[in-house]
Amino acid sequence: MLKSHELLEFIKAIGASLEVFEHAGHPMRIEFIVEKTLEGLGPPGPMKASHAGETRVSRPSFPDSDPIRRAGLVVSRPMSEPVVDEKAQKEAFDRYVVPEIEVLYRVARSITRNPTDAEDLVQDTMLRAYRAILRFDGRHPRAWLLTIMRNAQINRVRRKRPELLRDPDAAMERLADEDSADLGPEAQVIERGYDAAVEKAVDALPEKFRTVIELVDIQGLSYAEAAEIIGVPTGTVMSRLHRARTRVRKHLESSGAYVNGRPV
Amino acid sequence: MTVRRSWGRRQKAEVNCREVGKVLQSYLDNDVEEDFASKIASHLEACKDCGLEFETYRQIKTSLAGKMPEVDPAALARLRMFGQEISGDSATGN
Repeated sequence: MLKSHELLEFIKAIGASLEVFEHAGHPMRIEFIVEKTLEGLGPPGPMKASHAGETRVSRPSFPDSDPIRRAGLVVSRPMSEPVVDEKAQKEAFDRYVVPEIEVLYRVARSITRNPTDAEDLVQDTMLRAYRAILRFDGRHPRAWLLTIMRNAQINRVRRKRPELLRDPDAAMERLADEDSADLGPEAQVIERGYDAAVEKAVDALPEKFRTVIELVDIQGLSYAEAAEIIGVPTGTVMSRLHRARTRVRKHLESSGAYVNGRPV
Repeated sequence: MTVRRSWGRRQKAEVNCREVGKVLQSYLDNDVEEDFASKIASHLEACKDCGLEFETYRQIKTSLAGKMPEVDPAALARLRMFGQEISGDSATGN
């Protein structure tokens, strides 16, 4: 049996390079490469050393004429999970995801129209983002997160409405159209003045127009970010937004709202 | 998606009402190329009808920008805590 410090002495003595792969602060795998022939090591055979609990040190038990392979030791801990750099994963999560939590929640409120569903959706999005964060290239984190949120929402719709599996985009639109028929108490608040008239006009819009207005004009997303969450091209967002505003304007005209003292 | 003026008309000094009407909302969203935008701005100052049209959309946009709903601070706190748990648990191996 070799103890840890004996193992390190041995590695140093033979001039090997050492690499330690850590998992949550504990060594998962230790590899070292023997670069020169060892003398007096004796015939190959089993050799074990206790190290870091489960770590086993063993020599290849096969006879080998190659002196490097013959001298090579493999120190390993059986691994069932891939090695993940969790420190980098946490740092990336804190850097790219945490600052966007409020925006994610606001957008989730817009697309779910329900506070509880919105919270669940953001949690789902964060979990997915955490798992994928090491594959993210760091560019446009908000757009990346909105894409994840959109996919998460599609899955939620699928779970609720399995018959809509074949066309998730249409599923989202249809579901949203159904939701729009059931406006909550917030939408039923009657206010006076121009702002109230605008709000009423927006509430009267078909869902696909209302969504772009909420995402771009109210939540302040760019065309491209809104396109990510809705799952349509940027040009479609732009055209829907313009048509939505035109409808709002016409609604204001018919309701007699005024701008700068003149009827619009 | 920035709007550019069509190539054949680039050299033309002024824009007309029809051109402005087509890009008025893109201009409102600052999504028009700079040199084209300055021509639109000049037109809006000179043309009363287009100016009023622009003002109508600008007021709609301003009104909507003020409608960002209050976010429930408790919900936001729960989500931030959830985020900490995701990364914190992993960092400690829990």
